[in-house]
Amino acid sequence: MARDTTALSRRDVLKASGAAGAAGLTGLAGCAGVGGGGDSEYPALGNYPVEGDEVVFGFNVPQSGSYSQEGADELRGYNLAVEHLNNGGGWVDNWDGLSGDGVLGKTVTAVEGDTATDPDTARQSASRMISRDNAIMITGGSSSGVAIAVQELCQEEKVQFQCCITHSNDTTGGSCVRYSFREMFNAYMTGQALAPVLAEEYGEDLNFYQLYADYSWGQTQQASMEQFFTEVGNWSQIESVPTPLGTSDYSSYLSDVPRDETDVLVLNHYGLDAANSLPQAIEAGLDQDMEIVVPLYNRLMAEAASDSIGGIFGTADWNWQLEDDASQSFVEFYREEHDRAPSYGARIAYTQTLQYAAAVERAETFYAPEVIRELEGHEYSGAGLGNETMRGCDHQAQRDVLVCQGVDPSEQTEDLLLNIVSQTSRDDLGYACDAGPAAECELGDYGDE
Amino acid sequence: MLLQSEIASILLNGLQQGAIYALLGIGLTIILGTMEFLNLAHGALYLVGAYTGLIVFQETALSNGLLYSSGITTLGFEGGFLAALFVVPIVGFGIGLLMERFVAEPFYDRPETDQLLVTFGLALIVEETVKNVIGGNTFQSIAPSTIFGVNVSQPISLPLVGLFPSWRLFIIGIAFLVIGLTYLVIERTDFGLVVQAGTHDSEMVRILGIPINRSYSLVFAVGAALAAFAGLIGASIQTVSPQIGTEQALVPAFLTIVVGGAGSVRGAIAGGLVLGVIISAMTQTYSQWAQIVLYLFVALMLIVKPEGLFGSAEVGE
Repeated sequence: MARDTTALSRRDVLKASGAAGAAGLTGLAGCAGVGGGGDSEYPALGNYPVEGDEVVFGFNVPQSGSYSQEGADELRGYNLAVEHLNNGGGWVDNWDGLSGDGVLGKTVTAVEGDTATDPDTARQSASRMISRDNAIMITGGSSSGVAIAVQELCQEEKVQFQCCITHSNDTTGGSCVRYSFREMFNAYMTGQALAPVLAEEYGEDLNFYQLYADYSWGQTQQASMEQFFTEVGNWSQIESVPTPLGTSDYSSYLSDVPRDETDVLVLNHYGLDAANSLPQAIEAGLDQDMEIVVPLYNRLMAEAASDSIGGIFGTADWNWQLEDDASQSFVEFYREEHDRAPSYGARIAYTQTLQYAAAVERAETFYAPEVIRELEGHEYSGAGLGNETMRGCDHQAQRDVLVCQGVDPSEQTEDLLLNIVSQTSRDDLGYACDAGPAAECELGDYGDE
Repeated sequence: MLLQSEIASILLNGLQQGAIYALLGIGLTIILGTMEFLNLAHGALYLVGAYTGLIVFQETALSNGLLYSSGITTLGFEGGFLAALFVVPIVGFGIGLLMERFVAEPFYDRPETDQLLVTFGLALIVEETVKNVIGGNTFQSIAPSTIFGVNVSQPISLPLVGLFPSWRLFIIGIAFLVIGLTYLVIERTDFGLVVQAGTHDSEMVRILGIPINRSYSLVFAVGAALAAFAGLIGASIQTVSPQIGTEQALVPAFLTIVVGGAGSVRGAIAGGLVLGVIISAMTQTYSQWAQIVLYLFVALMLIVKPEGLFGSAEVGE
């Protein structure tokens, strides 16, 4: 947990300049009833200052729509984070800065919203959390379309957003904003991690055919697959076909896949969509003529398509079988509460909430520009994936990526659906700040310039 | 040869999709035609059919479920789907009777907006109840690996089309069997005569001394049974989750009767097939235009032939 010295010096400069003097009254209001917390020296911004002895986090997750099961597990992760932030336990006891007595002495309370897996609904829900509930931080989502829409709103409103499940390159690429951070990896990294494994497994100079969900995530996902399959394995793309998000019957799309020419069929679908497209591909016998790949796994898909996932390669954010201490302790306390292993959505939700809380503690204020500076360039290692850096130039975590393979149906249990094939080191992944998706990222302002 | 193969594949996929639309459309159209009752809970009946099928399928499976835990482990065949084929329409029929008596009847003489509100509310209640009782989980489709001793888990090779999932061939067959039987009942029986007469002029049927209220209940129940059956078919090829009633059934059912014509069974069959083939053709050729072309086609129908392919102009006026 290295401290960001740049941020410290900047705060000192701010203090010295007396810039916060103009906000003396609001600062006082922020202190009332909580006995300080060192949180009175900045001007009002977004929902800062936090009044009273409680601070509100907004958990904006899909409780309906294609990704609703993801949302349910995210909420479990969020609620555990709130429980541990207020009462101790879990990773709180091992993370620097966190003490288990709330955040800056204030008790954390949560409001929950339903994004319905729809960007407009998600924005409305987040907007209500900001204006009605005075949420100091919004987090959640299980769709890149949703994450991008909400993070734009949060940038406008100067309220921090912590991404949950969002895998599009655009989230921390062309659509990145200063007020949003992403712990999850992205489609570009999936391509980097998956292509060498597939080239090794299936050979080089093959032909591949892609179907992809026709929105931000699917589009960047298919572009990254095309780039890395071509570069790494010298594979050739036959065709790449968009399918609308929420398609339930893929039979017509699958009928069109040329069986004679295709060596690998790439299904860039997620959640419920993947739970339909993969079994239907196998039902049509495509697996007899070609290899099938689902680049991004999740538990909903693995469970709902469990008869079809045996041997199918893909990547995952995290897996409960990882043996490091942080992962195992997370599995343990999640299992105590919910009697089964957590999905990666629960881990991201839990981690992103703690990351924000720890940054607030380090900054000693809820004032967003200072919290953001604490997170930028922050290095951490207690989130189950080894050493990670929350990169300052695009707010994308630089971390390891797991390549997984579906477990044969005869060997599956409720928790064991995927086997970890490899953990690709972050040193072999990623891209410079002026390359890949980051080249298109302009973060925007802090709000205190 | 390539073109012929493409056309054959489009037709077969369209037939399968169209069969589900037709089942939904027939149910909706006889209720709308006979009682002039707009039933937005039709998708919820599809949902009930899918979940009933799922439960029956799971509880009668050989390796687990209710029968297994009761010691019955030697049925000797994979009976789950077969049992569901009978149980689901019966459950749908029963729910249809209850719906007609307690939801539809009090609203027959009320404005259409009231009917829309009450049935839409009912659909939401059904969806939320499923979420609360069974959970928001997504379940795998419930296609069996064998039925009547025939292996349906492997695709089979068809002339022109090439490999095609054999289970889908089976459900095309069973769906059209049910559609055909429904058509015969409506065209060739006294009950069907009353339904048809009621579609044209329910007041006249009443004046003739026919107990149309009892027929109303039956019509509603048959419509509900067909929607539930469509749900079972849907559950055998796609995942089952609480949203499917609204997302997969309601809009296609209404589009089907707009194309086919309200109140016409023949129209619902034709409408379902036309829509199925349009979607299949567009998906296979210009997939991004599929939805646009579908709605353009329906809009065009409304302009050029507002009564639909087989509808009578009076229904719904």
